[in-house]
Amino acid sequence: MPSSNRILTMSHAIAEGIANEMRSDPSVFVMGEDIAAYGGIFGATSGLLAEFGEGRVRDTPISETAFIGAGVGAAMAGMRPIVELMFVDFFGVCMDAIYNLAAKNIYFSGGNCKVPLVIMTATGGGYSDAGQHSQTLHATFAHMPGLKIAVPSNAYDAKGLMISAIRDDGPVLYMFHKGLQGLAWMASPEKAATEVPDEAYKIPFGEAKVVRPGKDATIVTLSMMVHHSLEAAEQLARDGIDTEVIDLRTLVPLDRDAVFKSVAKTGRLIVVDEDYSSFGLTAEIITSVVERDPTVLKAKPRRLAYPDIPIPYSRPMEQFALPNAGKIAETVRETVMKGH
Amino acid sequence: MSDIVVPEGLWDTTKTPEGIVGNWFYRDGSMVEAGAKIAELMVEKTLFDIVAPAKGRLHIVVPKDGVVKPGTLIGRIDGV
Amino acid sequence: MEPTKEQLLWMYAVMAKARYFEDTMAAAYMEGKSPKFDIGAGPVPGEMHLSAGQEPCAAGVCVHLRPEDTVTATHRPHHQAIAKGVDLQKMTAEIFGKKSGLAGGRGGHMHLFDPKVNFACSGIVAEGTGPAVGAALAAKMRGTKAVAVSYVGEGAANQGAFHEALNLAALWKLPVLFVIEDNSWAISVPKAKSTAVKDNSVRAAAYGIPGMHIADNDTLAIFAAAGEAVERARAGGGPTLMEIETYRYYGHFQGDPEVYRPAGEVAALKAKDPIERLRKEMIGNRGVTAAEADAVLAAARADVDAAFAFARGSPYPAPAEALDHVFA
Repeated sequence: MPSSNRILTMSHAIAEGIANEMRSDPSVFVMGEDIAAYGGIFGATSGLLAEFGEGRVRDTPISETAFIGAGVGAAMAGMRPIVELMFVDFFGVCMDAIYNLAAKNIYFSGGNCKVPLVIMTATGGGYSDAGQHSQTLHATFAHMPGLKIAVPSNAYDAKGLMISAIRDDGPVLYMFHKGLQGLAWMASPEKAATEVPDEAYKIPFGEAKVVRPGKDATIVTLSMMVHHSLEAAEQLARDGIDTEVIDLRTLVPLDRDAVFKSVAKTGRLIVVDEDYSSFGLTAEIITSVVERDPTVLKAKPRRLAYPDIPIPYSRPMEQFALPNAGKIAETVRETVMKGH
Repeated sequence: MSDIVVPEGLWDTTKTPEGIVGNWFYRDGSMVEAGAKIAELMVEKTLFDIVAPAKGRLHIVVPKDGVVKPGTLIGRIDGV
Repeated sequence: MEPTKEQLLWMYAVMAKARYFEDTMAAAYMEGKSPKFDIGAGPVPGEMHLSAGQEPCAAGVCVHLRPEDTVTATHRPHHQAIAKGVDLQKMTAEIFGKKSGLAGGRGGHMHLFDPKVNFACSGIVAEGTGPAVGAALAAKMRGTKAVAVSYVGEGAANQGAFHEALNLAALWKLPVLFVIEDNSWAISVPKAKSTAVKDNSVRAAAYGIPGMHIADNDTLAIFAAAGEAVERARAGGGPTLMEIETYRYYGHFQGDPEVYRPAGEVAALKAKDPIERLRKEMIGNRGVTAAEADAVLAAARADVDAAFAFARGSPYPAPAEALDHVFA
């Protein structure tokens, strides 16, 4: 449990995790766009330039394919680079370096090469940044063998997952939701900022967390939707429905056991994801349970995700598309009703 | 008892008279060290760090998102 | 190449209109975001990238274009959209997220599409270069005299897509003009820290095409250079790379604290404002009267005021309209 009474926003927790590792390991360095003097557009590298200098905290040109490819090469040559892809939506210009190089080189070398690369990237919408700056794309990357994926929902987990990511000898995609960073100019849930210990600590990959125990229904979710799900659970509790909320924390490796154990207990599964609905995370979680033992389910499994549309700019349309506490609570209620 | 006050001259008040408390980094009632970064103010989108003027127990007067001007008392430290 | 009086007044009108639009938009953007700057709040939520200071790059090039010519632009598109003749009311309504907007509110300020004047923009750096090459290819295949213009920033000149597009355009000798608006800053990173060469126009040599460099945001120099490049393209002479040294008065995005920008830089730039410079030149040396200039200015501002009134008065789309127009 956290030992400090100091509260960090998620952005500061990420920066502190990186700083902890940079202090103890000279091979760790950071590069990306506007990560030096600016501290990262979403604050993930704040304070690092002042402490570590330009050699280890490098602003790059707008050349993602080059600097992510360089990250792969530097990692294979014995460094431990952390590279920031400013918005996950920009993956289009550098996907080859991520999924044909970073994700596959360990395999291609039969384990003889290591690729200790962390790619960190900002995800998420809800503040009117439109279709090329608001995506989450969890499934796009989780689908690619060879890439581990960490998705923190709060500051405490963010620091621990970042330290685990840096210490991993393989490539890790670290996806942080902009709306959880605690930036004063973008609204964030109160529980995203938490007490965070000063010292370095790890959170293991492949371990989901039961953030709210319950017996009537299981919500499986991640990132921003953890907070909306907890709010939904409070609404449901007033109606006498006791909802368990599971925060996946990492997509790869995926803690299928924790999901199954919970659904075996409650019998009702609702998966909530900010990413597009079809061919994605929600389908994967539901299938994980159904293919193991469909008889644990007392009701149809349900999913609540982004509709299969580009993300609209105009506020009423964007809010229509996004899952939120009210929609989550309604979906859970439906699973508890007879005939569902 | 030490006051935590928004400094004068931190930003151009002719252009923007007010800012807000962007974040508190300790809960109300926490023990803080002198010089620790305890809050950040935000004026438009510019952030300013506020450090504890003394060691002691923090009492928050203006919570997160509260409006501030130069001279606003945002908190106090109970020296122990 | 010297502009006619008509062209001078056209450019002045476009630049004044763009400037007034951006200044009006800056104020509208801040509504609902004070004293707490919440990026999602107010009638114009999200990001906003304003082009005040960069007007000559739009006016000096687009004066040579016709509706059938294509322009692709970036996340900082308003001045180019205005210069290309995009429907101002629908564009403003789009930025306000209204149903009467160019895309019914689906695109917003970074994704403005007006097929009537062949204008489109995108928020991914350098990704407009490919489509401009494509429009030029279509013109060549159809045997029209249409040309394409791709606007990028100096940061984009380090992105892969830029280089691929230049090579392809040169290889196939396509009628496209690549215009780099060099405002020195890619968010917080100055050109000297991102670009291996001092002057991006020299990169044209790598593709065997002409490279032109225009200093100091000079509208008439841009006019002359762009005129030459557009004529060359229409005559089948292939692509040109043009780099314009320009300035942005506002931050990268509205709310940008600009801690990276030296104090006094913006004030110094405003002292040589390009709209004022053009006005002085055309009244002093080119036979335009102050009354003519003022009339054009007043009309430009009236158009902008009407566009904002239209946008504010228009209704929002119904929420479920989000599901429309995913496919053709």
